[in-house]
This record gives sequence, C-alpha cells and structure tokens, in this order.
Amino acid sequence: MATTDHAGAVFGALSDPTRRRLLAAIADRPAATATELASELPISRQAVIKHLSALAQAGLLDRRRTGREVHYRVTPAPLSDAVSWMAEVGGQWDERLKALGRELGGEPRGRPER
Amino acid sequence: MTDRIERELELPAPSDEVWEALTDPERLAGWLADEVSFDLRPGGEASFRDGETLRRGWVEEVSAPDSRDGGGRLAFWWASDDEPATRVELTLVPAEGGTRLRVVETRPLELLDAIGGPRFGSGSTSIGPQARSRALVATH
Repeated sequence: MATTDHAGAVFGALSDPTRRRLLAAIADRPAATATELASELPISRQAVIKHLSALAQAGLLDRRRTGREVHYRVTPAPLSDAVSWMAEVGGQWDERLKALGRELGGEPRGRPER
Repeated sequence: MTDRIERELELPAPSDEVWEALTDPERLAGWLADEVSFDLRPGGEASFRDGETLRRGWVEEVSAPDSRDGGGRLAFWWASDDEPATRVELTLVPAEGGTRLRVVETRPLELLDAIGGPRFGSGSTSIGPQARSRALVATH
C-alpha cells in the first residue's frame, strides 16, 4: 500500500490540471507516446514530456522504450484505477463548474474550452 | 473503498437562483450536459446526454433552499452503460455576496460489488463487478 510520502507525490503530480488531463488521455488506451499526446492536446511536445516525467516519477506512469519511441502507460497498481478516475471526473467537474460560473457570474456565456 | 472528488465554487447569486441553475433542465443544458431530463423527486429517473455519452440515473434527494437558512441539497446517481454508477451531491450554502456550491462525486465500489450494482432501464446490464473488472483491465 502507498506510504504517505508516495500519496503526497501522487497528489502533487495531480495538482496540475494539464497533468490530470494527460493521465486521463493515457488511461483511455493501452499506451501513448509524447508525440501522439502533443498532437491531440494544445500543449507542445516538450511540455508533454515534462509532465509525463512528473507523472512517471510519482509512479503513475510506466515508461517503456521501443526503438526510438517511449511508450507511456498508466501503472497497473490498484491506486491508479482510483487516481485515473479522480483525474477524469475531477477534470470534468472543473469544466462544468467553469461553465456554471459563466452562467451565473454574468461573464460571457459559451461552451467551456476543450 | 470509496473514490471521491470534491470541488467548491463561490457564485455571486442567491441560493434560490443557483438552485434553479441546478434543477431546471434548460439551465442545466448550459453547463452540466447537452441535454438533461430530471424527474425531480426521490426515486425519479434522470438522463444526461453529453455529446456521444448517455448517462442514466435516478434522484436520491431534493431539498430546495430552505427559506430560513438558505441551504439546499440535490443528490443523484448516474452511470453510462459500461461504467459503475457514481453518486453526485450538490450542496448549497449561503456565503457572503452569494452562494457556495460544493460538489462531491463518489464511486462506492465495495458497496456496488456487494449488492451487484444498481440496474438501469436499458437492457439488463449490471453495473457492478463486471464493469469494475473492465475498468481495471482497461488501465492495464
């Protein structure tokens, strides 16, 4: 089971919304490369690599080199199921609440940016 | 084990106005999902369509903002076909200059596994251990 230090590292790594989004994107498939992720999200490949390293250091991602490419996948630890759920669901609520804030806050209305 | 996320948001509107945004299907379409239908009473059915995703569920608690303290609560369960059902609780508390909205979504896996999960209207898909196993397999 995770130690307090490990849990701290996990939640530290997940405090960043971009990292939560990356983790949720990787959890949707068997494995992903930084190039794939950078082409799907509005983030540079260099920034993607930086975030992926932080997630790997917290033990949330496995890194596997195949030829010239590094494949990342969500670690199969029991914690990662909960963590990827929290990342995905938390990210969805962040978007919804942003939209609700616009509805009720008198700011310009519109769809949340994706 | 229960997985849980929690968010809080201060809104510059009185709690009855926020309540309307949480319960009126037309207002809900502005932020919760593209298309929402809600039978607003305990046990009432609900459905939420957001793009390609259809979630079904039911209402657990409807407590409109209290005229004395202004607090209110809406709780419902929802799930898409291949996912375990989760519980959403929206709580309103009056705050200075508006209302504080607290959102808690929980996924009580052990309870669902024990009872085999709730069943929704579409077919006979059990949203319990099977979906849980699939969720685990999917992350491997």
